[in-house]
Amino acid sequence: MNTKDIVLVALFAAIIVVLGFIPPVTLAFIPAPITAQTLGVMLAGCVLGAKRGALSVVLVVILVAAGLPILAGGRGGFNIIMGPTGGFLLGWIVAAYVTGYIAERMIREDRGGWQQLVGFFVASAIGGIVVLYLIGIPWLSVVAGMPISKAIAGSMAFIPGDVIKAVIASLAARAAYVGYPLLPARS
Amino acid sequence: MLTSLYIDGNSPLHRVPAGWKLTLLFAASIILYLFDDWRLLVLALLSAMAAYLSVGISPREALRRITPALFTIVILCALNAWFTTPQLAFAMFLRLTSIVTFAAAVTASMKMADFMEALTTALKPLERLGLVNAADLGLALGLVLRFVPEVFSDYQAIRQAHQARGLPLRWHTIIGPLMVLTLKNADTVSEAIDARGIRHQASIGREII
Repeated sequence: MNTKDIVLVALFAAIIVVLGFIPPVTLAFIPAPITAQTLGVMLAGCVLGAKRGALSVVLVVILVAAGLPILAGGRGGFNIIMGPTGGFLLGWIVAAYVTGYIAERMIREDRGGWQQLVGFFVASAIGGIVVLYLIGIPWLSVVAGMPISKAIAGSMAFIPGDVIKAVIASLAARAAYVGYPLLPARS
Repeated sequence: MLTSLYIDGNSPLHRVPAGWKLTLLFAASIILYLFDDWRLLVLALLSAMAAYLSVGISPREALRRITPALFTIVILCALNAWFTTPQLAFAMFLRLTSIVTFAAAVTASMKMADFMEALTTALKPLERLGLVNAADLGLALGLVLRFVPEVFSDYQAIRQAHQARGLPLRWHTIIGPLMVLTLKNADTVSEAIDARGIRHQASIGREII
C-alpha cells in the first residue's frame, strides 16, 4: 500500500458514509426501502478493486464500532454489530472484496461499454448479494434462533431492491471507470 | 453530521477501560446464549438497562438509539413465536434486547480515542507479523473524518447542478460524478502527505524497495 492507496481507501470510505445521508427510496413494488449505502459497498469493489475496496469498508465498520452514527438512518455503535443484522454489516467487507475480485478479472479497457456494464453487474450481484446473504442469513439464523429456511424466506423481500442496486452500481461504476479508471486489471 | 454517540460523564461504566468493556460485551453476549430461563434473562435485561441509564443518557435518547434494533428484534421474535415456540421466542427477545442494550451502553460510555487505543492494542500481534500498520490505520481514519464534509458538499453541488438543468435526481447520474470528483483528489492529498513526511520514513522506504 503506497500513500495514494491509503488516501483512495479513505476517500472511498468517506463516499460510503455520505451515501448514508442520501434519503432512501421507496418503490411501490418492493417491500423494503432502498438505501444508497449498500450501493457504496458494491461500488467500493467495482471502483477500487478487491483489496482497497474491502479496506475502505473496513474503515467504515471501524467508525461504526467507534460509535459514529454513520449508517443509513443515523445508526451506529456496537449495538448494530452485535444485533441480529450485524452479519450483514460485517459481511460488507467480504462482499466488497469478492465484488472487486470478480471486477478485476472481468473488466477490460478494450471491451465495449455493454460488456463492461455486464461485468460490473455480475461482480456487484455475486459479491453484493450472493456473498453478502451467505454471511448475513446464517448470522441472522444463529443470533435470532430462527430456522434457516425462514431466515432465507424473509430475506427474499430485499432481493428485488438489491438487484436494482446492482444495476445502479454497474452504471455508476462504469461512469467512474471511464472518467477516472482505478480498477487494477488481472487475468 | 459526525457527532459521536459518546455521552460525556464519569459513571462507573465510564471508568472501566475500553478493552475490558469490549471483552465483557463479547463474553456476555456469548454467555447469554447458554441460558433459556426467562427469569435469568429478565435479570440480564434489567442489569443491561441499569448499565445503559447509568451513563447519564436521557431515557428518551436512550430509547431513540436502540429503537431500530428493537424494531427488528420484535419482528424477528414475533415470527419466531410462530416458527418455534412462544417460550423460546420470548427468551430470544430478552436475550437480544439485553445484548443490544448493553452494547449501546458500551458505545455511550466509550470515547472514540479510547476505542482506537483498544483497537491498536488488539492489532499489535498482527502488526508484528507485518499485516497491519496501526499508524497508517490512524491516518486513514483521520482522512475519512476530514473528507466526509467535503464529499457531502460535492454531493450537494451535483444535486444542485441537476436541479439547475431541470434533470431528475437519479442515483446513477449522481454517484458516478461524485466518485470521480472525490477520488481525483487522491493525487494531491497523497503528495501533500508525503511532502510533509507524515507517514513513517521506514514504511515509505519499504514501498520503494
